[in-house]
Amino acid sequence: MATQIVMDLTGDTRHEFDPENAEALARAEQRFRELTGAGFTAAYRTGPGEVTRIKSFDPTAHETLFYPRLVGG
Amino acid sequence: MFAAFRLRAPARARLHALQELYRRFFGENTPEARGRRLLAEWLSPEQRAQFEQHRYFDVTGCDTGKRYRIHYGTAANVHEIDAAGSATMGWCFVPTGFLVPGDVMLAQKIALETDEKGALALANRFPPATHSEHFYRRPF
Repeated sequence: MATQIVMDLTGDTRHEFDPENAEALARAEQRFRELTGAGFTAAYRTGPGEVTRIKSFDPTAHETLFYPRLVGG
Repeated sequence: MFAAFRLRAPARARLHALQELYRRFFGENTPEARGRRLLAEWLSPEQRAQFEQHRYFDVTGCDTGKRYRIHYGTAANVHEIDAAGSATMGWCFVPTGFLVPGDVMLAQKIALETDEKGALALANRFPPATHSEHFYRRPF
């Protein structure tokens, strides 16, 4: 199973999907597009503490994290 | 009378155990606790150890190689630090929405480690002495 983690008011919301399932994969890709289109940044881990940002959906990513647009505080 | 007391004691113990279970369950499922867990999962072992000990962790900016210290908090919690670990400048940038500290800190870590210039371009600078160390060391 793969997971998309979206930061929100509850801490985070997790969407799990089977990357072998074409329909589930399509839904995950759609969610990716909607979130990044709304300004979220997507990233996944490449090692302990190492992170890479991604701008397009990666069907091989085991875990993708989304955080909202950054602004000056 | 003693028999009645003996009967009540196990019930009291069960009640205490139940109260502790509820306390732990709800305590560990608050948004703040979930945010801290997510943060811990994404930190390097060194950053995690530093965070557990000091409630802050250091990151290296991907563009300049400068070091930043991210304190537990949701605003004005990022400091650029020198080789001695002293704060030289404060940088304030946060994700939109009302996120918990763990989430905010994780977003700041990822931003500095993958797009330092982009993060600093939108950040507001502040003098590093705005908050004392005590401010950041409030209990979870």
